Amino acid sequence: MNMTVILITLVLLAASSYYVGLKKSVSIQKSEKLHSAPIYHGSLIAIYSLIVSLLFISMWRLFENYLYPEFSLSKNLIFFLSLLVFLITALIVFLKIEKNFRAREKVENIIEIFLLICSTVAILITIGILLSVIFEATRFFSMVPITDFLFGTHWSPQIPIREDQVGSSGAFGAIPLFTGTFLIAFIAMIIAGPIGLMSAIYMSEYATKKTRDIIKPLTEILAGIPTVVYGFFAVIVVAPFIRSSGEYFGLNIASESALAAGLVMGIMIIPFVSSISDDVINAVPQNLKDGSLGVGATKSETIVKVIIPAALPGIIGGLLLAISRAIGETMIVVMAAGMSANLTANPLEAVTTVTVQILVLLVGDQEFDSPKTLAAFALGLVLFFMTLILNYVALNIVRKYREQYE
Amino acid sequence: MFDNEELLKETKSQALNSETVGNIHVDDPRIIAKNINVFYGDKPAINNASIDIGKNEVLAMIGPSGCGKSTFLRCLNRMNDTIDTCRVEGELFLDNENILDKKTDVVSLRAKVGMVFQKPNPFPKSIYDNVAYGPKIHGMAKNKIELDEIVFKSLDKAGLFEEVKDRLDAPGTSISGGQQQRLCIARTIAVSPEVILMDEPCSALDPIATAKIEELIYDLKKNFTIVIVTHAMQQAARVSQRTAYFHLGNLVEVGPTSKIFTTPQHKLTESYITGRFG
Amino acid sequence: MNNLKSRIAKEKRFKAYGIISITTALTLLTILFISIFSQGYTAFQETRIQLPVYFDQEILDPNKTNDWNKIKKANFNGLVKQSIRNLFPEVSGRSNKRKLYKIISSSAEYQIRNIVNNDLSIIGSKQNIWVLADDDVDMLIKGNINRNLPENERRIDDQELMWIEYLESENLIKKVFNKTLFTSGDSSESEQSGILVALLGSLYALLITLVLSFPIGIATAVYLEEFAPKDNKFVDFIEVNINNLAAVPSIIFGLLGLAIFLNFFEMPRSAPLVGGMVLSLMTLPRIIIPARAALKSVPPSIREGALGLGASNVQAVFNHVLPIATPGMLTGTIIGMAQALGESAPLLIIGMVAFIVDIPQGFTDPATTLPVQIFLWADTPERGFVERTAAVIMVLLIFLVLMNSLAIYLRKKFEKNIT
Repeated sequence: MNMTVILITLVLLAASSYYVGLKKSVSIQKSEKLHSAPIYHGSLIAIYSLIVSLLFISMWRLFENYLYPEFSLSKNLIFFLSLLVFLITALIVFLKIEKNFRAREKVENIIEIFLLICSTVAILITIGILLSVIFEATRFFSMVPITDFLFGTHWSPQIPIREDQVGSSGAFGAIPLFTGTFLIAFIAMIIAGPIGLMSAIYMSEYATKKTRDIIKPLTEILAGIPTVVYGFFAVIVVAPFIRSSGEYFGLNIASESALAAGLVMGIMIIPFVSSISDDVINAVPQNLKDGSLGVGATKSETIVKVIIPAALPGIIGGLLLAISRAIGETMIVVMAAGMSANLTANPLEAVTTVTVQILVLLVGDQEFDSPKTLAAFALGLVLFFMTLILNYVALNIVRKYREQYE
Repeated sequence: MFDNEELLKETKSQALNSETVGNIHVDDPRIIAKNINVFYGDKPAINNASIDIGKNEVLAMIGPSGCGKSTFLRCLNRMNDTIDTCRVEGELFLDNENILDKKTDVVSLRAKVGMVFQKPNPFPKSIYDNVAYGPKIHGMAKNKIELDEIVFKSLDKAGLFEEVKDRLDAPGTSISGGQQQRLCIARTIAVSPEVILMDEPCSALDPIATAKIEELIYDLKKNFTIVIVTHAMQQAARVSQRTAYFHLGNLVEVGPTSKIFTTPQHKLTESYITGRFG
Repeated sequence: MNNLKSRIAKEKRFKAYGIISITTALTLLTILFISIFSQGYTAFQETRIQLPVYFDQEILDPNKTNDWNKIKKANFNGLVKQSIRNLFPEVSGRSNKRKLYKIISSSAEYQIRNIVNNDLSIIGSKQNIWVLADDDVDMLIKGNINRNLPENERRIDDQELMWIEYLESENLIKKVFNKTLFTSGDSSESEQSGILVALLGSLYALLITLVLSFPIGIATAVYLEEFAPKDNKFVDFIEVNINNLAAVPSIIFGLLGLAIFLNFFEMPRSAPLVGGMVLSLMTLPRIIIPARAALKSVPPSIREGALGLGASNVQAVFNHVLPIATPGMLTGTIIGMAQALGESAPLLIIGMVAFIVDIPQGFTDPATTLPVQIFLWADTPERGFVERTAAVIMVLLIFLVLMNSLAIYLRKKFEKNIT
């Protein structure tokens, strides 16, 4: 007797018990006024019995496997016992049905509890992230000192196969990764910041409704393009373009460069910056604008001297969110920035980032006892907290700003 | 003549300890409210109001905006439960049961005490489904024929049936504002409540639609107890038998409508009736 | 009035900055689309060469068994080679012959084999069969290899070029719709590779994502917006969690999938099942947040109306609020699903990045997804794969555009609902 058969039987039983409950309450309804409509009585029997019997089965299996392995009964017995549990529960509920029985309230309580359980999933996910990242990262830090990791300037995670090989131990100094990450995020923000902000200003203050209706969806398209597509774009268009224009000026640029990755990431983030700035600018009260225009200021003067100062906290919050987005972005950098951990501020060289290294360390064979694999989780931990802090700060700034004008 | 400011000062001094003027009791009460206090957070909204509401009477509640008349109305079917910060104290008896008791099932209470709102709020469903919804959730009809009967009767009682009988499938939002409000009344009647609460039911309507609703209220009186909150004194005078005057959270005066509008006993009532503030 | 003049000039300049910004953004978008389209549109055709195949009884079934189990072991490769030689009888010498064989894709052998399998009576007859050309020939025919370059700078040498030009003059070579692209899995030969594995992988993973994240997401939104007690620490904590999850980099979810789903629960690597689970963790907050916004924008008068009739809170929500909010909630869900469809980083970590030839039969068979296939092929320098990468991108973008249009349509409907 396998599990599917048991489940199907229980569901069939639930359906018939629903019908029984419905019948009884309908017959009561003929003479007296019921507190709850008949369907609730039927549903209550079905749901209660189903929940109790399923709980019974899962408890049984838990005990069987973990507590008393020797005390394992045949599957048939579990089947009959679960049916018995079902029928007893159904009978108890059935006997309780009378005109004042508040079946509806009980069914609704079950619904609310179900909804509550669903909403705790978000907490479980966060716990899952923390558990997986912290657990493996701790193992990593027991092999490699945390100070070496955070402040070391040399990153070469390959563990040599032979003991006597040159550079015999892997180096896990993550500083080049952090600088690479920030260099690329910085380039991206140089592109996305002004373009995104100016587009938002133009869209909310100058553009006619018609233009807005055309351009808004277009920027939404830009936002909806998968990052892997941007990565491909970086590889086949932007990187060769940068390389050849570099040659024109007599510069030798690597085919994978921080500049190419940063540029394309900037393009990716433009719609993000512009939509946040748009919200923020629209939140500036109309009377502030009117006040400025009313004393004869031009539109641009109003924007520069009144709107932007008023919206500044919101804009800064938005830019921080964009930076956090850039730091966490993986595909563009993995395709366009390269793997070599150079400690450099030169955008024309190849650099690597935290996300790229996580990927590089984990794609392919993984050994969960080698610092090489575990290092990825340590990087993940850093990345998680870096973005968490950025977001927390940014959201707080934005929220304070919104409250100011509400 | 009174100076308005002076009047306001007087009002404030009276607000703290005021006895309701007039007779709050009736011979055959349907609802008995005793010492009702309502707070929004820490702010008191109603001070110690007590009043009986008689069977098959129309009780009008009038007063300047923010006087607590709507808040009081919403106590009668515990609609205030939907406002998180709102706290109600006191006793409210309907059929010898204190409906403010935590144990009271608000759902069956609201089936007994229906409500019509300020702005017509038909559901975005067909006219038929709007009226059928209440009977359906309360399991009042055993089959389609019975349900049809309830719906048609309710529409008829609300004086709407003739106007919409050919388009019962049309969305409830497609008819005029006055018709929408009568649809909401029909929807309320369909659950066969004992009391109907009306919260400024005509404030969003034009005079002709208003007249129709007033006529309807007059008819409904035969079968229901009606409590109506209104901003228009003329309306109160036209439709009600008794009137309660609220001022800044106080139930100032209660009495037969004819008496309130001709010979009010309380100074505040008189000032309001004569239009010194509103 | 000089002052005013300069102010007006300033105003004009400022406005110009705005226009320049938008134009820049849109130009970049256009360049992106054009470059992908121009790289990729040729991939929807493939080059085929007509081979006169003599289904030689001696080679295929010398003992006249008519038994497929025996025939299938026959030397089909030799048969194909013979047919090519028949086309160019003048070619002699080992190295020349080997070069000649290479103008045909190695898949020709299997194509011929299938033809025989479908119809054994074909043995002994002569048929003209259109077989797949090699990728270099394909590139030349599509113009991606310039014939006018000096011989040492192109992948096709003069002799091969001569053969191809002969085929062209005899109309024995043609371009047809590229069915291979949509019907096969990955391959090391670009002309034989297709996206079916990725397409199915994406489909399976998205189904899992939808099944997991949609009900839980909507239930969460409904609870938080309609039932949760206000000013409750636990509820606040849930909200904080959701907002944070929405901002967690996607690659972190991959780490969770690797550590918990693969290592702890020992689920299969590279499987769409796990991919879908990881994506659903990521998609959940992206469904919850817009769903809450949709519920919030349902006018409270609807809720009050239902409560005033004696509907319970649950009834008011399920009978009235939810139907009105549904299009709005679906809009959020579809956009979330579109983002999940385009996501690749977490999938790489749980091993959905692999060379997979076999079509997945279920949720636990190894597969890739469309974006991962793009990543894999983009890494391959061969021109044939560049073309195919751009083509996958086009396919992916078409799906995304469809999903987003549906979302926009539903949003319009929702806006009508709540006014």
